Amino acid sequence: MLFFRSEERVDEWCQAQGLPRRPLVRLDQLWSLALAWYANRLSPAARRPQPDEMRAIFARVGLTGPFWDPQADVFS
Amino acid sequence: MDFDIQVKLAIYQHLAETTQAPSVEEVAERAGAAPADVREAYGRLARNRVLVLQPDGVSIRMAPPFSGVPTQHRVEVDGKEYFANCAWDALGVPAALHREGEVLSRCEQTFEPINFQVHASGPEPEPCVIHFAVPAALWWKDIVFT
Repeated sequence: MLFFRSEERVDEWCQAQGLPRRPLVRLDQLWSLALAWYANRLSPAARRPQPDEMRAIFARVGLTGPFWDPQADVFS
Repeated sequence: MDFDIQVKLAIYQHLAETTQAPSVEEVAERAGAAPADVREAYGRLARNRVLVLQPDGVSIRMAPPFSGVPTQHRVEVDGKEYFANCAWDALGVPAALHREGEVLSRCEQTFEPINFQVHASGPEPEPCVIHFAVPAALWWKDIVFT
Protein backbone atom coordinates (compact mmCIF):
# COMPACT_ATOMS: atom_id res chain seq x y z
CA MET A 1 0.00 0.00 0.00
CA LEU A 2 1.85 3.00 -1.34
CA PHE A 3 1.33 6.73 -1.63
CA PHE A 4 1.23 8.42 -5.03
CA ARG A 5 0.76 12.07 -5.89
CA SER A 6 -1.95 11.31 -8.47
CA GLU A 7 -3.70 8.59 -10.46
CA GLU A 8 -1.36 9.32 -13.37
CA ARG A 9 1.67 8.55 -11.21
CA VAL A 10 0.00 5.25 -10.20
CA ASP A 11 -0.48 4.33 -13.85
CA GLU A 12 3.17 5.11 -14.62
CA TRP A 13 4.36 3.06 -11.66
CA CYS A 14 2.18 0.06 -12.50
CA GLN A 15 3.41 0.14 -16.09
CA ALA A 16 7.04 0.37 -14.99
CA GLN A 17 6.60 -2.47 -12.49
CA GLY A 18 4.61 -4.64 -14.88
CA LEU A 19 1.80 -4.80 -12.35
CA PRO A 20 -1.92 -4.45 -12.93
CA ARG A 21 -3.58 -1.25 -11.80
CA ARG A 22 -5.56 -2.03 -8.65
CA PRO A 23 -8.04 0.04 -6.63
CA LEU A 24 -7.13 3.47 -5.31
CA VAL A 25 -8.06 4.61 -1.84
CA ARG A 26 -8.47 8.19 -0.63
CA LEU A 27 -6.68 9.54 2.43
CA ASP A 28 -9.91 9.88 4.42
CA GLN A 29 -10.80 6.24 3.63
CA LEU A 30 -7.33 5.14 4.71
CA TRP A 31 -7.74 6.98 8.01
CA SER A 32 -10.97 5.06 8.67
CA LEU A 33 -9.16 1.81 7.94
CA ALA A 34 -6.26 2.81 10.20
CA LEU A 35 -8.63 3.52 13.09
CA ALA A 36 -10.53 0.27 12.57
CA TRP A 37 -7.34 -1.81 12.46
CA TYR A 38 -5.08 -0.09 14.94
CA ALA A 39 -6.95 2.10 17.46
CA ASN A 40 -6.88 -0.64 20.10
CA ARG A 41 -3.69 -2.42 18.96
CA LEU A 42 -1.83 -1.56 22.18
CA SER A 43 -4.58 -2.88 24.45
CA PRO A 44 -4.79 -6.42 25.86
CA ALA A 45 -8.14 -6.96 24.13
CA ALA A 46 -6.78 -6.23 20.66
CA ARG A 47 -7.17 -8.89 17.99
CA ARG A 48 -7.01 -9.01 14.23
CA PRO A 49 -10.38 -8.57 12.51
CA GLN A 50 -11.93 -11.79 11.25
CA PRO A 51 -12.89 -12.08 7.55
CA ASP A 52 -16.52 -11.05 8.04
CA GLU A 53 -15.38 -8.10 10.16
CA MET A 54 -12.86 -7.13 7.50
CA ARG A 55 -15.55 -7.13 4.82
CA ALA A 56 -17.76 -4.96 7.04
CA ILE A 57 -14.94 -2.49 7.73
CA PHE A 58 -14.13 -2.16 4.04
CA ALA A 59 -17.80 -1.82 3.13
CA ARG A 60 -18.24 0.99 5.67
CA VAL A 61 -15.70 3.09 3.77
CA GLY A 62 -17.09 2.15 0.36
CA LEU A 63 -14.62 -0.59 -0.56
CA THR A 64 -16.57 -3.58 -1.81
CA GLY A 65 -16.13 -6.45 -4.24
CA PRO A 66 -13.77 -9.41 -4.52
CA PHE A 67 -10.62 -7.31 -4.23
CA TRP A 68 -11.55 -6.46 -0.64
CA ASP A 69 -12.78 -9.92 0.30
CA PRO A 70 -10.12 -11.76 2.35
CA GLN A 71 -11.67 -15.07 1.35
CA ALA A 72 -12.07 -14.40 -2.37
CA ASP A 73 -10.54 -17.12 -4.51
CA VAL A 74 -10.55 -15.29 -7.83
CA PHE A 75 -7.02 -13.93 -7.52
CA SER A 76 -5.03 -17.01 -6.51
CA MET B 1 -3.31 -12.59 31.24
CA ASP B 2 -2.48 -15.00 28.44
CA PHE B 3 1.31 -15.25 28.05
CA ASP B 4 1.28 -14.50 24.32
CA ILE B 5 -0.75 -11.34 24.94
CA GLN B 6 1.75 -10.38 27.64
CA VAL B 7 4.59 -10.80 25.16
CA LYS B 8 2.73 -8.91 22.45
CA LEU B 9 2.04 -6.01 24.81
CA ALA B 10 5.67 -5.91 25.93
CA ILE B 11 6.74 -5.68 22.28
CA TYR B 12 4.27 -2.90 21.52
CA GLN B 13 5.10 -0.98 24.69
CA HIS B 14 8.79 -1.11 23.80
CA LEU B 15 8.10 0.04 20.25
CA ALA B 16 5.81 2.85 21.39
CA GLU B 17 8.36 4.09 23.93
CA THR B 18 11.57 3.71 21.94
CA THR B 19 10.45 3.51 18.25
CA GLN B 20 12.73 0.46 17.93
CA ALA B 21 11.85 -3.22 17.79
CA PRO B 22 12.97 -4.90 21.01
CA SER B 23 15.28 -7.88 21.34
CA VAL B 24 13.98 -11.12 22.84
CA GLU B 25 15.90 -10.29 26.00
CA GLU B 26 14.27 -6.86 26.29
CA VAL B 27 10.83 -8.38 25.86
CA ALA B 28 11.63 -11.07 28.41
CA GLU B 29 12.65 -8.43 30.92
CA ARG B 30 9.48 -6.41 30.39
CA ALA B 31 7.28 -9.49 30.56
CA GLY B 32 9.15 -10.98 33.51
CA ALA B 33 9.67 -14.18 31.56
CA ALA B 34 12.47 -16.42 30.34
CA PRO B 35 13.92 -15.58 26.91
CA ALA B 36 13.30 -19.16 25.75
CA ASP B 37 9.58 -18.81 26.55
CA VAL B 38 9.46 -15.46 24.73
CA ARG B 39 11.08 -17.05 21.65
CA GLU B 40 8.37 -19.71 21.63
CA ALA B 41 5.70 -17.03 21.96
CA TYR B 42 7.23 -15.20 18.97
CA GLY B 43 6.61 -18.30 16.87
CA ARG B 44 2.97 -18.52 17.92
CA LEU B 45 2.42 -14.78 17.40
CA ALA B 46 3.94 -15.01 13.93
CA ARG B 47 1.75 -17.99 13.03
CA ASN B 48 -1.26 -15.97 14.19
CA ARG B 49 -0.14 -13.06 12.00
CA VAL B 50 0.38 -10.74 14.94
CA LEU B 51 4.11 -10.37 14.15
CA VAL B 52 6.28 -10.80 11.11
CA LEU B 53 9.73 -12.10 12.00
CA GLN B 54 13.00 -11.98 10.11
CA PRO B 55 14.33 -15.35 8.91
CA ASP B 56 16.33 -15.69 12.15
CA GLY B 57 13.01 -16.15 13.96
CA VAL B 58 13.86 -13.68 16.73
CA SER B 59 14.14 -10.28 15.02
CA ILE B 60 10.90 -8.39 14.53
CA ARG B 61 10.32 -7.23 10.94
CA MET B 62 6.78 -6.01 11.57
CA ALA B 63 4.58 -5.46 14.57
CA PRO B 64 1.91 -3.65 12.58
CA PRO B 65 1.60 -0.71 12.23
CA PHE B 66 5.23 -0.43 13.36
CA SER B 67 8.14 -1.57 11.25
CA GLY B 68 11.19 -3.08 12.89
CA VAL B 69 13.35 -1.86 10.00
CA PRO B 70 13.67 1.53 8.28
CA THR B 71 11.15 2.20 5.50
CA GLN B 72 10.11 5.14 3.31
CA HIS B 73 7.14 5.71 5.62
CA ARG B 74 8.20 7.74 8.66
CA VAL B 75 5.86 9.10 11.28
CA GLU B 76 6.78 11.76 13.83
CA VAL B 77 4.84 11.68 17.08
CA ASP B 78 5.80 13.67 20.19
CA GLY B 79 9.30 14.27 18.80
CA LYS B 80 9.91 10.57 18.10
CA GLU B 81 10.30 9.09 14.63
CA TYR B 82 8.66 5.76 13.93
CA PHE B 83 8.86 3.62 10.82
CA ALA B 84 5.64 2.19 9.38
CA ASN B 85 5.23 -0.75 7.01
CA CYS B 86 3.10 0.92 4.36
CA ALA B 87 0.81 3.88 3.70
CA TRP B 88 -1.99 2.30 5.74
CA ASP B 89 0.34 1.68 8.67
CA ALA B 90 1.71 5.23 8.43
CA LEU B 91 -1.74 6.39 9.47
CA GLY B 92 -1.94 3.44 11.84
CA VAL B 93 0.92 4.75 13.99
CA PRO B 94 -0.90 7.88 15.26
CA ALA B 95 -4.11 5.82 15.42
CA ALA B 96 -2.44 3.18 17.62
CA LEU B 97 -0.69 5.73 19.82
CA HIS B 98 -3.78 7.96 20.08
CA ARG B 99 -1.56 10.93 19.37
CA GLU B 100 -1.30 13.56 16.70
CA GLY B 101 1.64 13.26 14.35
CA GLU B 102 3.16 13.95 10.97
CA VAL B 103 3.47 11.40 8.19
CA LEU B 104 6.64 11.82 6.13
CA SER B 105 6.49 9.61 3.08
CA ARG B 106 6.84 9.91 -0.69
CA CYS B 107 5.19 9.40 -4.05
CA GLU B 108 6.45 5.98 -5.04
CA GLN B 109 6.75 6.94 -8.71
CA THR B 110 8.51 10.32 -8.45
CA PHE B 111 9.93 10.04 -4.91
CA GLU B 112 8.68 13.57 -4.19
CA PRO B 113 7.79 14.01 -0.53
CA ILE B 114 4.23 13.43 0.61
CA ASN B 115 4.04 14.88 4.09
CA PHE B 116 0.96 15.74 6.12
CA GLN B 117 -0.23 16.26 9.65
CA VAL B 118 -2.54 13.77 11.31
CA HIS B 119 -4.84 15.20 13.97
CA ALA B 120 -7.21 13.40 16.32
CA SER B 121 -9.92 14.06 13.73
CA GLY B 122 -7.82 12.63 10.90
CA PRO B 123 -5.23 13.66 8.32
CA GLU B 124 -5.06 17.14 6.86
CA PRO B 125 -6.02 17.20 3.18
CA GLU B 126 -3.07 16.32 0.95
CA PRO B 127 -3.24 15.70 -2.80
CA CYS B 128 -2.45 12.01 -3.03
CA VAL B 129 -3.96 8.58 -3.59
CA ILE B 130 -3.10 5.20 -2.11
CA HIS B 131 -2.69 2.22 -4.40
CA PHE B 132 -3.41 -1.24 -3.03
CA ALA B 133 -1.39 -3.54 -5.28
CA VAL B 134 -2.49 -6.82 -3.68
CA PRO B 135 -6.04 -8.18 -3.15
CA ALA B 136 -7.00 -8.75 0.49
CA ALA B 137 -7.11 -12.51 -0.01
CA LEU B 138 -3.41 -12.53 -0.95
CA TRP B 139 -1.98 -10.07 1.57
CA TRP B 140 -0.27 -12.74 3.64
CA LYS B 141 1.18 -14.59 0.65
CA ASP B 142 3.98 -12.00 0.76
CA ILE B 143 3.13 -9.53 3.50
CA VAL B 144 6.34 -7.52 3.04
CA PHE B 145 5.46 -6.83 -0.62
CA THR B 146 1.83 -6.16 0.33
